[in-house]
Amino acid sequence: MIKETILHKTLFYLFAIFFILTIGFPFFWQILNSFKMERDIFALTWFPSQYTVDNYVKAFTTRPLLSYLGNSFVIATFATIFSLVLGSMAAYAIARTPIKGKTPFLILVMSISLLPPIVIISPIYSIIRAMGLLNSYAGLIIVNVLFTLTVVIWFLTPYLHAVPKELEEAAEIDGASPAQAFSRIVIPLLGPGVFTVGILAFIQIWNEYLFALVLNPIRIKTVTVGLKMYESDNYMPWGTIMAAAVIIVVPLITLVLILQKRIIGGLMAGGIKE
Amino acid sequence: MKTLTRKQFGYLCMAPTLMIFLIFAIYPVFRTILLSLYRFRLQTGPTKTFIGLDNYFHMFGDSRFFNALFFTLLFTLLTVVTEVILGLIFAQLMNLPFKGRGALRVVVLIPWAIPTIVSGFMWKFMVHDQYGVFNQILQTLGIIDSFLPWLSRDTSARLVLIMSDIWKTAPYVSLLVLAGLQTIPKTLYEAAAIDGAGPIRRYFSLTLPLLKPVLATAVLFRLISSFKVFTVIVALTNGGPGYATESLTMYTMRTYFDAGNYGYGSALATFTLFVTCIIALLFTDVIRGKIDGGKRSRP
Repeated sequence: MIKETILHKTLFYLFAIFFILTIGFPFFWQILNSFKMERDIFALTWFPSQYTVDNYVKAFTTRPLLSYLGNSFVIATFATIFSLVLGSMAAYAIARTPIKGKTPFLILVMSISLLPPIVIISPIYSIIRAMGLLNSYAGLIIVNVLFTLTVVIWFLTPYLHAVPKELEEAAEIDGASPAQAFSRIVIPLLGPGVFTVGILAFIQIWNEYLFALVLNPIRIKTVTVGLKMYESDNYMPWGTIMAAAVIIVVPLITLVLILQKRIIGGLMAGGIKE
Repeated sequence: MKTLTRKQFGYLCMAPTLMIFLIFAIYPVFRTILLSLYRFRLQTGPTKTFIGLDNYFHMFGDSRFFNALFFTLLFTLLTVVTEVILGLIFAQLMNLPFKGRGALRVVVLIPWAIPTIVSGFMWKFMVHDQYGVFNQILQTLGIIDSFLPWLSRDTSARLVLIMSDIWKTAPYVSLLVLAGLQTIPKTLYEAAAIDGAGPIRRYFSLTLPLLKPVLATAVLFRLISSFKVFTVIVALTNGGPGYATESLTMYTMRTYFDAGNYGYGSALATFTLFVTCIIALLFTDVIRGKIDGGKRSRP
């Protein structure tokens, strides 16, 4: 029996180490190489013969990385806020009000969350161009809101179902209008759920590439589009690309590590929400 | 001012979301389907000529379309199958009562949080034909004699793309599976153990059937998101060598924005919509379950 436990333990840790190495290695390699001089990269030395931050300096000086970061930050922040506001309102309507057409609306939300962006990209390009919003913050914010709204609605509806009806009814008996009951009772109770789905939405927008490429090809480039700009036809500055990639990823990884419990909970709830 | 009734307030809350869906999703879908029936090229000016199903007839004689479809299907099938198998194994591991499994759950989040374009560049660097660590490791282990140009050959370029997607997504699938595992009551296992079922028997006749709804949800979403593969290809191969790794989305993008052929591009996009609908129809139970769930509170 004791022997068996030790065997199980050894097997578990062997597997665990194998998985951690496989999953972690590419990320580790990216960080390590961002501190290498180019000659070390060319000479295939595993660890840098001399650590350098040169690549990080170049990441900011050879391309406007700081403005890429700023653009992504502005777009992701505003799109997240808008989809949280609109999404919690829609989720409230589904969960707490006696409106008609809930099923068609939910089918619509589901269909849009499954809709491949390529299906709608050309008409969206025309609409955004007609609105004069190509190469702007607003255009990308609107489009990102479309795709994160569905996530927010799916995530928050069950939360709102769980808020006891009596709380709101009590408020209404005290003379509050539905809007007041919503803002005073429901919104504070939604806090944790809104926070979790907000992070998920922010990460999704930060990582979005297709629409950022099509709608903002010239100005207000985002980080994902900007990263591709380091490439040129005959030369790949690998050290610089890896440094830029680390900078793009660091805010996310920090967020993920600090808030891991919430994020894992959020992702898992998204999967089993039957 | 009169206060709103609950119902009126509900419609008011719904209105902005519905507006956004209408303008930026529903209208564009129908616009794309409509445009697929027209000849509409930027080079020939803004005139659209109605040509019925001609774009579709052209599509079914277009070898580049079939090439893209073949690669996209191959990519979708191989990534989803492998990710589900790895996800099952890894979730099982994370669910075992050992110290340090928390660390596993954190590591799992790293590939998920990294933007696809970044992970594409990471892999491109790792499989580089002159200074890629992948070549270096394989050579040290004696598996290959000399460095291989992974991204210059059809099969190996496809393989690298598939591997990078598996690396990025299998850990995420394992989290979904883990969520499913945690909903299975422990008493079921105890009962099965008393009945004399071994661990393997228990897994196949108890765990897997109970995981079916979670797996079906994961497979539905993974099939659809694998089928729209684009970004990772932009970083790694840009569709090459030749058209070997050009996906349907990439071919559609090039038809729209490089060739300026909006009519034919719309037909290609409509085809993607068609495939997505077929996948969704295969999983109507999952979708119905989700929609019913949206109307109820979570148990």
